[in-house]
Formats: sequence, structure tokens, C-alpha cells
Amino acid sequence: MKSQTTELSSPANVSKTKRFFRTMVQQKYLYLMSLPFVIWVVIFSYVPIWGWLMAFQNYKPRNGILDQEWVGFKHFIELFSDERFYLVLRNTLAMSTMGLIVSFTVPVIFALLLNELRQQFFKRTIQTIAYLPHFVSWVVVSGIVTKMLSTDGGAVNELLMSLNLIDQPIQFMAKGEWFWGIVTVADAWKETGWNTIIFLAAMSGIDPELYEASTVDGAGRFRKMWHITLPGIRTTFMVLFILSIGHLISIGFEKQFLLMNPLVIDYAEVLDLYALNYGINLSRYSYGTAIGIFNSVVSIILVFLANFIYKKVTKESVI
Amino acid sequence: MKKVKLGLSLLLVMTMLFLAACGNNNGNAGTSNSGSETGNGESLEPMTIRLASGDNNPQWDNMQSDIGKFLQEKTGITIEQEFPVGGSDADMFALMVASDEYPDLVMPKGNVNKLVDAGALLDLRPLLEEHAPNIMKVYGEYMNRLAYSKNDDAIYTLPLDPVDHTYFDAGGGFQIQHQVLEELGYPEIKTVKDYENAIKTYLEQNPTTEDGQPRVGLSLNGGEWQILISVTNPAFYATGAPDDGEFYVNQDTYEVMMHYQRPEEREYFRWLNHMNDIGLLDKESFVQKYDQYKAKVASGRVIGLIDQDWDYAEAENALKAEGKFDQTYANFPVTLDETFKDASYMGTGYLASYGIGITVDAKDPVRIIKFLDYLASEEGQILVNWGIEGKHYNVDENGKRVIPADVLEQKNNDNNNFKKQTGIGNYFMSARYGDGVQDSTGNYYTTNFPEQIIAAYSEADKKTLAAYGKTVYKDFWPSEDEFEERKYGAGWTINFDTASDANVTFQKSQDLMKKYIPQAILADPADFDKIYDEFLAELDKIGVQKMNEEYSQLIKDRVEMWGE
Repeated sequence: MKSQTTELSSPANVSKTKRFFRTMVQQKYLYLMSLPFVIWVVIFSYVPIWGWLMAFQNYKPRNGILDQEWVGFKHFIELFSDERFYLVLRNTLAMSTMGLIVSFTVPVIFALLLNELRQQFFKRTIQTIAYLPHFVSWVVVSGIVTKMLSTDGGAVNELLMSLNLIDQPIQFMAKGEWFWGIVTVADAWKETGWNTIIFLAAMSGIDPELYEASTVDGAGRFRKMWHITLPGIRTTFMVLFILSIGHLISIGFEKQFLLMNPLVIDYAEVLDLYALNYGINLSRYSYGTAIGIFNSVVSIILVFLANFIYKKVTKESVI
Repeated sequence: MKKVKLGLSLLLVMTMLFLAACGNNNGNAGTSNSGSETGNGESLEPMTIRLASGDNNPQWDNMQSDIGKFLQEKTGITIEQEFPVGGSDADMFALMVASDEYPDLVMPKGNVNKLVDAGALLDLRPLLEEHAPNIMKVYGEYMNRLAYSKNDDAIYTLPLDPVDHTYFDAGGGFQIQHQVLEELGYPEIKTVKDYENAIKTYLEQNPTTEDGQPRVGLSLNGGEWQILISVTNPAFYATGAPDDGEFYVNQDTYEVMMHYQRPEEREYFRWLNHMNDIGLLDKESFVQKYDQYKAKVASGRVIGLIDQDWDYAEAENALKAEGKFDQTYANFPVTLDETFKDASYMGTGYLASYGIGITVDAKDPVRIIKFLDYLASEEGQILVNWGIEGKHYNVDENGKRVIPADVLEQKNNDNNNFKKQTGIGNYFMSARYGDGVQDSTGNYYTTNFPEQIIAAYSEADKKTLAAYGKTVYKDFWPSEDEFEERKYGAGWTINFDTASDANVTFQKSQDLMKKYIPQAILADPADFDKIYDEFLAELDKIGVQKMNEEYSQLIKDRVEMWGE
């Protein structure tokens, strides 16, 4: 990044390559410092793309990657003609969209509230308590959630019963249409505190003079939040939001895998789980890779689309 | 002779070195070296063997148990075991193949074909012939059943099924708490109606436990993969068919269908639907996780289970450890009505099913096979079954092996800890004889023989059995001689080729089953038929017919191969 900016800002009368090498020598320490990370990216993000070849073969682990039967787009055709694929795609998009909305509204609101607190000790304590669940693994969280929602002495049902809101315990985990909501809420509980940290950091970077000026102008607390704090974190917010859109389709499968049961399978199976069950588990590595490629392509399209829209609206770009 | 002597002295030197090396963390090692002579001149250099096991074993002792330490000293070998994390064994081995890195030993359960297709397993035949006389001896006449397939006669895994096993006791069927039987005056429990009535009457009279917790009528372990064990397999048993995995095999023509396609089994699921309708079925049966299920059973609130003993044993052991024997379970063969005969014990011949294999990445296959061969020797088998003489068993004046009362007490009533401390039950890693086979001294190889089984029963078990006039639970079941032996072994030992279309169809059928069967059971009885018909129609749609035909062919191939 550094080299590019200097390159662009240099005068245009020297030949381009010469100029490039000159800056490179000048900034050799910067280059050296970035080198490990470049290597890291190449090894972990670009070298594995080699494996995409598998999607166009009938891959058998016994032979090398070039010593395989080539089948062209067979696996993609199979993938797009499988009904189940569209079902899991629906589940994936539904849960990730719900998750995206929740994980960008709740933490911002929470951060706004925390930011207004005067008492530092109280603020820090609340913040720490709030982000602790982030470090609890999904295995444990799913246990807590199923136990809480159990009809057999689960806390939620007990509470609703004692408030006389219901007279029969509700089978939360057995209702397919509620599964998305349960996953989203569980995710919100686990990650809200953690996601708040970065917004709080952005908020503390806002120039206090702005607040002072608005106090002079007679703005109240809510006005200040609306006109100073929120615009102050807009860039951070948008960068995170657009990057998250890129992950819309690859949301992992731990939560769904651990929370699901046979009754809700039609709402719980997500793309990654499908890749595991119908790809790797059946030794159809090629099919699994095809799903992976689909994932990546969709992710890239989504990121650029989101950035494009943002650019249109605000004339800024984050990528 | 000279060579042997040389070998022995070398061995002694090695042993001394080894013991000296271990001296720091094992103060009394110096005195015990007389016990560590193997006599076969093998290197005792410490070696660690990685073993990936498809079956989770929370009681695995990391070689820290009595047997573990003994084996370490005797053979120099340390076994490091890995288990599936969270998911199933299928994930574990699929990922292993994908990464192309293997541990030394694998117990892949039903995933052998994945590993074989990837070229990951060694053909053990030459190794066996050269280095493993004990293993060869145990398998004996069944060696031909070890061959992989009709087209590939290599031996990739050594079946861990005990050879010449006699079933003395039954661990499956339908379970009901002893206290229920006692209170109801030991009613006859033969059909699902009997079973239902027993639960119903007891639950009406005792809706809560002494401490006020609501009782649960019948709980099924249907939230995870055990849906196969606790929900669909019992449909086989209740309708007079043997367990052939997910398929029903016609014993004369070897025609095959998915077993849920049988009209009889539909009626079994209709009965479960009825149980749910009248409120006896645990509403959480298909939602609960395995640990929730175990916790529930261990609380003693569940009146009836339909499960296998190995699946609920941990929970039952917890009940025993607390002394709540009347809340543990008796098992019965229960059928849909009197016309069916429970075929759990329909013979299979020697099954040669799930086994242990050595991978191509193994560092020293010869030493590993010799280790396995030691476990298969008479000495080794007695060790893994009985433990160490003088510690876990004694030999009385008649030359009989006897388990001391205090050891037996812990074994029966605190088995989880017992297994971890002693290692008994953790080292079944090689060929071995089954229950009822005697060794050269006339003792049984295993600790399960009629006298021992009866001695191991709790007072509650004995009382229940006495009331029914039986000696063991197995007596309730129709015996093996009432059926003709299945010539293909058992269906669940036969799998489709990996990456075949049939395998994909199979996976789809399993997803459909997991969705529709619970749905049908929990539905309003009026909707049961509608849902079940939809299930059958969906099965047809994914091409189950074609898969059934292919499976039928596999069965016929097996019959031909084993018939030779």
C-alpha cells in the first residue's frame, strides 16, 4: 500500500520502473517488514487455490492432483440441480442476514450506551462481563441454550410458566421456523460484547472539542449521539459492514451443527454442513471443492457489490 | 540356542537401560525387572503408536492404568489414542484422507472403504503370515472372512469382533425400571401393548419422584446419531427382523429394501406416535443431546428406554454408584404383537466387521503387528480381559481365575472409574476370543461366562429375574437355534463404494429418515399416514429403488465370497 501511494504521488518525468526501484531502496525497511505478511498471504490464501483444480476432476486421494480424470463442470451441474442445495442456500442466507443485522445494530447501541457512562470502573466492568461469552466455545454455548430452552425444567419455560404467559412448556428447539431466531439470539448473546469493543474504540477517537462545541450550541445527549458519535464511527462501521457482507455466505457451521436436531434439519443445514455431509463425508472431495468455489465467487461478488453501492451513495470507497 | 541367549542378554541390557531411564519417575522400577522379560528377543525401546479410534471412549486411560503401565513395561509401546471431536467418525476419517496424513493405527468402524480407496491401509496378509501366529490362530477357519472384497483379497483390518462368541446375556431390547416391575407385580412384558401398559399404570400411580421431580414415561435417544440405535433399529427387532443396518434383507432371495419401507415397521412407528399422543413419550426425545439424555437417565426419572446397554451404561453406572438399584433397568424383547419373534440373535457366523488396521504411514509395521500379536496371545488376552494376576484376579487352588469381591464390587457398581484405573476393557485392540471360549488352563478368556454374569447382577436384577423364573435376561429372547444363520453376516458390515452414486442416495435417504420419522412420530395421529406416505414418496423420488438393487448385489457377492 505504502509503495503505491508514493509511486502515484511522484513526478512523472522519470521512467516508471526506475522510480519504483528507487523508492523501494529508500523504503527497504518498510518492504522488509511487510514481507512476512505477504508470504503469509501467499501461502495461506493463494497457494490453496491450486486445489480448485479438484472441482473439475473426479478426485481420488490415492493419485496426485494432475493424475486424475477430468470431468469439466459435472460437479457444478450436479450441485445446481440438487434441490437440497437451494434449501441450504436459503438457510445460510437467512441466518447470515439475520446475524448481520443483529451484529451491527445491537453492538452499536450497546457501545453508544456504554460511551455515555461517566463512571470508568462501572463501564469497564460491564464491558468485560459483556465480552466474556465470546471466549466460551460453541459446544458449551449450545449446551447452555438447549438446557435453557428445554421443556424439562428449562429456565425460559419456567419463567414463562410462572408469569402465566403460557400454560404448556414450549418446545423451542423442535420448531423449525424458530431455529433461525434461536441461532441469531444465541450469537448475539455470545458476540455482542466483543463486537462492541471496536465501536467503543472508534468512539473514543472522536475529537472532544466537537462535543464541547455542541454543548455550547445547546445540544442534549441524544442530539450529540445522533450528530457527533454516530457520524464519528461511520467509516469504521462501513468498513466492518462491507467486509462482513463478504462473509455472508460462509458463516461456518458450528452453531447450526451443535444446536440442530432431526426435527429442525430443514432449517438448520447450512452450506458448509452440506459440503461436509455430501462432499467430504462421502469422499466426494471434488463436489466439496465445487461448493467451496461457489462460496468464494459469491463472496467476492457480494463484497464488490456492497462497496459499489456504498461508493455510489457516499462517493467514498473502503476497498 | 546361542542366538536366543544372545537375544536374551541383549534384551536384559535394553531392559536395564530402559528401566534406568524411567527410574526417575518410577522409584520402584528396579525391583520389578524380573517381570518384564518377553522372551522373544524383541526391542523394548520406547515407541509411541498413534491410534485413531472412531468410537469415543471417555474412559480411555492414556496408558496410565494398571494394564497400560504393564504393557508399556512389557513391550515398550505407548498407545496415544485420538477420538472424533464433536462430530461423527465419518468426518474424522474423511478429513484424515483429505489431509493424507495417517496415524500408525486406525479403528475406522464403517469407514474402511474410504481409507482403502485412498490407499491408506497396508495389506496385513504378509505381515500376519510372517509375524503373527497368535492372531492367525485366533481367527483360524475364519481367515477367509477377513478378505476385503470379491475383487481384492487383501486384509486391511483385523476384525475386533470376538471369535466364537456365545451370547450369554442380552443388552438390547426395551428397558424398564426394576421398581416399576416390582410395584406392578412383575407383569408379562412381551408386546408393545404390555410395555405401554406397564409404563402407563406406573406413571399414573407415581407421577413424580420422591423429591417431586416429574417422571418421564419413555425417553428415546433420538437427538443425535443414536436415532439409529434408539428409534429405527428397534423397529427391526419389534417386527421380527434382524438388524441389517438400514436395510431389510429377504433371507431367501436376498432382495433388499430400506427397512422403513416395510409396512410392519410403519405400524411400529404408529405405536410410537400413539405413545406420544397419550403423553408417555418424552417430548424431548428428538431434541435432546446425548449428554442431556444421559443426565435424564442418571436422574432416575425415566421409566422406560428403548436402547442398547452400551449406549445408556454410563448413566446406569451413575445410578448404581449412588446405590439406586431399583431405578436401573431390566431388558425385554418386545414385539409389535405376538406374531413376531425378536430376531436379535439370528446368527451371523463370524462377523468380521469393524476392525483395526495399520496405515501406510506407520513407522514400524512389524513391531506394531507383533504388539497386536502379543495382545492376541493367551497371555495378552487374559491381561486385557482379566487384568493383572494378584491385583485384579487370583487363581484359586483348582486353577480357576477368580475376581476378588472388592474388585468385582467396583467393577459392577463403579465401572466408569474401574475402567479408567485398571484399563480392563480399554485394550481390545486385536484379535480375541469371545465369551464362552476356554484357554489352555480351562478358564474362560473373558470375564463374561454364566456364573460371572450372574455374580455381576445387582440384587435388583436378581430379584426381577427370579420373579420371572429366568437366570439371565437372554432367557427372555428367542435363542439362536430358532433361526437360520444369515449367510452374509450382518448388513451393517457391508457398505457401498465411496463416491458412488448409491452412496449419495444413501446419504439422502438418511437425511429424509431423520426428518420424517421424528415428524411422523410427533404428529397428530390423524396426520401420521399422510406424513409417512410423503416420506415413502420422497424415498422413491431420490432413487432408493436403484440403490436397493445395488445393495442386493453386494449381499449376493458377500454370500458368494464367504460361501467358498
